[in-house]
This record gives sequence, C-alpha cells and structure tokens, in this order.
Amino acid sequence: MKEELAKRLVQGLKDAGINFVTYLPETRLSQIVPLIQDDPEIDLIAAASEQEAVTIAAGATLGGKQAAVYMENTGIYVSCYSLLAIGKQLGVPLLLVVGYLGGVPDQRNSFLYATIGNRTIPVLDGLGIEYMVLEDGARLETKINDAVRAANALRGPFALLFAGEFSV
Amino acid sequence: MIRHDCLELLAARMTDQLVVTSQSGQRIEWSHLSKHEGNLLVGMMGCAVGIGMGLALALPHRQVIVLDSDGSVLLSLFNLATLGNLRPKNLIVYVFDNGVYSGSRISYPSATSGNTDLAAVARGAGIKNALTIRDIETFKRAGLGALEQKELGFIVCKVEESLMHREIPRPNTDLAENKYTFVRYLERTEGKAIPFIGRG
Repeated sequence: MKEELAKRLVQGLKDAGINFVTYLPETRLSQIVPLIQDDPEIDLIAAASEQEAVTIAAGATLGGKQAAVYMENTGIYVSCYSLLAIGKQLGVPLLLVVGYLGGVPDQRNSFLYATIGNRTIPVLDGLGIEYMVLEDGARLETKINDAVRAANALRGPFALLFAGEFSV
Repeated sequence: MIRHDCLELLAARMTDQLVVTSQSGQRIEWSHLSKHEGNLLVGMMGCAVGIGMGLALALPHRQVIVLDSDGSVLLSLFNLATLGNLRPKNLIVYVFDNGVYSGSRISYPSATSGNTDLAAVARGAGIKNALTIRDIETFKRAGLGALEQKELGFIVCKVEESLMHREIPRPNTDLAENKYTFVRYLERTEGKAIPFIGRG
C-alpha cells in the first residue's frame, strides 16, 4: 500500500474516534502499525492471539474507549469464539480492521492464501458480523466512519476487509 | 482451602474495584456474595483475563480484579505472555485452581492436577508477582495483600473441588443487563460518557 493510503487509513480511524487498537501484525496493512505507534492519541496493544486481541479490545470498549482490532483474516478464524461470545453475545462494538488475504481482490493472492480468503465472508456471515470490502481509497474516511457508527449502533463487531490497492 | 471462603474474604475488601469473573463456579458464588455494580459476570470461559486487561489499560487509575479458574486460564494461556509484557499495575488475577473441570459434572482432571504449575508458567511469561497459595491463612496475608500492592498480581489459589455453587441460586441477570449496569456504573463513577451507549 502506498504510504499516503496508510496515512489516510490511520487518520480515518482517528477521525472516526478510534483511540485504542489491539493487533497482531500481518503483511497487507502493516504500514499502519508504526503510524499508530507514533500517535499519542491512540493506545496500541500487541496481543499474542487474535482471540485475545478481541477480548482486550472489548474490555477497553466497556471501559470507555472506542476500540479497533487489526488482524489478518486468518485471525477471524482464530477469534471466532471471542467474536461470538463477547462481541455478539455480550454486545460489544468493535471495529475489525482486516487484511483480506486470498480474496479475489487481493493483489498478492496465491495458492497460499486462496482457501483462507475464499471462506472469510461465509464465516463472517455465519457469525452474523456485517462487513465492507475496501479495494481503493475512494471515500475511505467516510467508510471507516460509517463502520464505527454501525458497530456502535449494532452493539457488535463490524469488519472492514482491505484488499485491492491496500494489498499491493 | 475452599474457594467460597476466599471469595467471602475478598468481597469484604471491595470498594470501587471492577471485578470480572469468568464462566465457572466462582461466577455463581461471587454473584451471590457481591451485588456491586462494578461486577462483570462474563458468561464464557477463557475471556475474562482479556477483558480485565482491556479495562485495566483503559482505566489505569482503577483497580481491576479478575476471578478465573484453571480451566479458563488453560484455554487462553496466550494471555500470560501479553500480561507479562504489559504488566498493568492495576490488575490482579485470582485463579481458583481446583484441578478439575468441575462444570463437566464428571470432575475430569485439568492439566494442573498433573504436571502443570500455572504460577510457574506465569513467571516464565514475565509476570513477576505470580504465586501459589494453598491455605486460607496465606490467602488472608498474601492473597488479600496483593490488593495493596501497585503491581500486576497473578495469584493461583489451590482449592478443593467444592460444589457449593450448585447449592446457591444462579444469577438470573441477563448478560446484556449486567453489561449495561456495569457500563452505567462506570459512566457515573468515571464522570464520562461511554461512547457506544450513544443517543436513542
């Protein structure tokens, strides 16, 4: 992803009120990590598992933060349990910022990722988690803001799946 | 040592702490012993430490207590590595380790009834104040003493398998109801709006 797009993504998160991010690094969106790290207005917490990243972010949300979880889409599979038990059942808004590996619009797709990408949306559907696929920077800030507002309104997780220009 | 005895002593020391309990007998016993609005009764195993960590990081001036079980901690051992690196000073995790999956109703042994020492795992993960308590007198001194320390605590309480939680009424508070009571309590005591509550 171009540096400018990474900066817009992080600024979009801030403008949407995100001030707490838990994460496990991945390849497609990794440029956002140092940008968030350098930003004093966002707490950045490294987790050891996406399942944990979801529960830590949920705790922070209940404590008054507007939290996001940044993960690869493999993390959706890892965190199904906490997304369902805490995100959905307890009803805790979370923005999921997801590197959408192996989806059709993933510009670095290969046999390594295709199966993972192929089942990501059916799994989100199965969990009852709404999502948007973002392939370019058009109306990026608006879409992030819409996603945060929807997560708060739904009292649950909302996933932004980043591919296309974000996966270059 | 009996878990209910420990919880009774702990409940008497609570003021404005936030208490997160995982799904296990201690959730039922704690809800019976404490009606405090700062209690969050998490309805699933393996999630309480993460939620407690998030609360402790979001509210660093507030003491957060997690009441957990051996089965629950074993389900989310990755929490220990994260805790050992973050070391939030306002978080204490009490693990009531009875060495069995009591909820299974067949008392199937957990790994801690074999070779696994959770306090040693926690120390290896970087948690300095990790200890094992085996009797109520030590719990009174070191277990409750952790409340006065400004340091992350990971207190493994070796308890007998007690079925007291099956004899007392189970909490009938819905998870969402408990969540909103908890969040409204935080809004009131922290003097700030919780963003997701929003406007109707």
